[in-house]
Amino acid sequence: MTTEPAVAVRGLTKIFPVPFRRNPLVAIRDLDLQVVAGEVYGLLGPNGSGKSTTLKIILGLVSPTRGEAKIFGRSSSLVSSRAGVGFLPENPYFYRYLTGQETLSFFGKLCGLRRDRLRKRIDELLKLVGLTNARERRLGTYSKGMLQRIGLAQALINDPKLVVLDEPTAGVDPAGSRAICDLILDLKRRGITALLSSPLLAQAQEICDRVGILANGILIREGKLEELIAIENRSEFVLENASDALVAEIEALAQRSNAKLIARRKSTTTLERLFLDATKDRPNE
Amino acid sequence: MTTETALDFQHRAFSPGRVFAITSNTLTELTRQKVFYVVLIFALLLIGSSIVLARFSFQQEFQILKDVSLGAISIFTSLLAIVATARLIPQDIEDRTVYTILAKPVARFEYLIGKLIGVLLLLAISTAIMSAMFLAVLYFREQSALHETARQLANAPQEQLEDALRAVRASAFNYNLVPGIAVIYLKSCLLASLALFISTFASTNIFTIVVMTFVYLIGHLQATAREYWLQENVPTWTARVFLALVALLFPDLQAFNLVDDVVAGAAIPLAVFVKTAVLGLFYTTIYAFLAAFVFYGKEL
Amino acid sequence: MIRSLTATAMLLVFGAIKLPIESNLGAEEREFHLRTTEFDLGLREKLGQLGFVAALSGFRSVVADVLFIQAHVAWERTEWGRVLLLFRQVTTLQPRAILFWDMAAWHMAWNASVAALNDKSQPRQALRIKAQREYFDLGKDFLEGGIRNNPNSPQLYESLARLYRDKYNDHERASECFAKAAALPGAPVYDRRFSAYELSSCPGREREAYERLRELYDKGEKERLPTLISRLKFLEEKLNVPIERRIPDPDPLKR
Repeated sequence: MTTEPAVAVRGLTKIFPVPFRRNPLVAIRDLDLQVVAGEVYGLLGPNGSGKSTTLKIILGLVSPTRGEAKIFGRSSSLVSSRAGVGFLPENPYFYRYLTGQETLSFFGKLCGLRRDRLRKRIDELLKLVGLTNARERRLGTYSKGMLQRIGLAQALINDPKLVVLDEPTAGVDPAGSRAICDLILDLKRRGITALLSSPLLAQAQEICDRVGILANGILIREGKLEELIAIENRSEFVLENASDALVAEIEALAQRSNAKLIARRKSTTTLERLFLDATKDRPNE
Repeated sequence: MTTETALDFQHRAFSPGRVFAITSNTLTELTRQKVFYVVLIFALLLIGSSIVLARFSFQQEFQILKDVSLGAISIFTSLLAIVATARLIPQDIEDRTVYTILAKPVARFEYLIGKLIGVLLLLAISTAIMSAMFLAVLYFREQSALHETARQLANAPQEQLEDALRAVRASAFNYNLVPGIAVIYLKSCLLASLALFISTFASTNIFTIVVMTFVYLIGHLQATAREYWLQENVPTWTARVFLALVALLFPDLQAFNLVDDVVAGAAIPLAVFVKTAVLGLFYTTIYAFLAAFVFYGKEL
Repeated sequence: MIRSLTATAMLLVFGAIKLPIESNLGAEEREFHLRTTEFDLGLREKLGQLGFVAALSGFRSVVADVLFIQAHVAWERTEWGRVLLLFRQVTTLQPRAILFWDMAAWHMAWNASVAALNDKSQPRQALRIKAQREYFDLGKDFLEGGIRNNPNSPQLYESLARLYRDKYNDHERASECFAKAAALPGAPVYDRRFSAYELSSCPGREREAYERLRELYDKGEKERLPTLISRLKFLEEKLNVPIERRIPDPDPLKR
């Protein structure tokens, strides 16, 4: 039983010629990566590492200098390869003179949706991203978070099998960010593949199954998240209601063996959770 | 077991539905922008202001009314064609909306054609509104002149009165104005298509608009340059090359300025109208094709 | 970059294809008097830079109208030199506009000439009359220019006829011009009558005039206008036409 990988990139190289300079810009160098269907893959790296360019090549927006990219077995250069793909670009603007509803209607029509099916889908998605109350307002009046959410809605308009997200939580407040992450996990539960790029490592750690790290256009690390970040020779235990005596005994046990006790501390929550719990009762847009 | 393909439905290489979605979106964009209304109202004011030509005889008044109105329709459709189109693609690229659109199963040429047809529809609507205003003003002034003439010649023989009324009607509406206006519309289509082409490799709006202004002026001189070049007694070699470039690269915009003579009473034979229309459509199509050609290679 | 160059090359190829088409279309349009103005240096000199550019941009008729309005204002100010200059520009821009030729001639032969005759700054009458005649000639030039550009216009022939009749007192030429006007499509019915009237004032051509007027009279009630009847009567006397062939006297009550 073989299924096509959702995304397959082989030998991808992209060189941008720079006018009036002798050295052209090599954005991506001999990149090989695969995204398995149904997983969440994070493409990480500092700014300028080639993440956006890689995503654009996968989506057929930019043509590679060498190598190839395929979506579910179809070459990215074919328009038909995008039939089951949704894309949320970085800092999306859309058409500010259109209302939320009109925006989704426009993108739905581009994907071949019509009339009742389109109407139903728009209602579903507006509910999903929490913008039902703002559907008649023009996008020019939306906040950043709202724009991101409508962007996500249009990316999902055609019920895609693959969703590509370029920095999906950029500039979004913690609550919105959390909502987007939950949404991505929800997509995963429904069998939709997600390929996202992000400079926010903590977030990527939470939601990605596999990650690839790009630097200067080269994929320097790639693999399952837990395997990559696991520190080989260290183990963690989290105990609740442990007495001081028990803790002292464990410490002594460690000291008697070859192992070294590195640290003992109180478990912490995250700042994000603290913030969200504190602001939970404030109405969300 | 099965290879997964991510298609819910069959993808068609060309879908009028997709093109239409982009067309109506472009039309909405252009009509929701203030610049469209400012231009339109200005044109309507200009046409309407011809009403204050009372100090002239009706012949003179009608002539000036027709000239000013048709001139207004000509300049405003040309201006609208250039300004509206120059922004379309660069704006989408700047706002990155073009990524979201092209990330859908939309071919680049469908995107371009959709945009262009949106502009052409806008130009058609503007031309129709301005023409309606013009014809309405012409009609009212004609009725007014007819009444005045009838009043003045109330005691004159019937024949003379009929002659005079016929003279009024003849100097007012002339059926040849309609193909004249159609040809003005075709000129604006040509300019829109050309502006689209220029905008595919221009880096800013201003560049496109400046180039188009330049093309507009040179285009009106192209006929003279062409005739001169074809006569073969051009003095210097550099002049020959220059004239050749002008003749080959620029469209002959004078071919679309038929209204000047229509107002003076000339008629447009059907053959000439059809040939001019075909030439206009030919230009529009070629420029659109060239725009698609450059756009396909454009790094977004 | 390469694409842009290829596109330019394609543009040149397309240009070569469209060139003969455009040339033919241009010739055809000129044949139907649809593209009558040559844009050359002569025009540029006459119009000045702004006017030339405006005319070039397809606003020939608007420029002509603007200049026409300026000519009107100059007339109100009796600046005859300026009126002449402006009308020359106007008729160059719009040679197919009969109105402009007609107005130009009117201003010269009827208005400027009168002003010249009554010019208080010119003490010598001989010179005033000379100036008046020069204006008549300018008017005639305009009408003849108009006729050259619009050979099928009865209006211009009519105006020329009136010019000969009222200003030059040349009834023979006036008659010819009225006759030419009458022969053109769209001419008003009275042109034939007027031609005959003028002929009746030409010494030595009374017989011819009589034949024509009689022919018109015989056509019916519509032609039997007071002037026609009185001219016929006059000619009958002059030519000693036998009583039985004369037309009945007009009913005095009808006058």
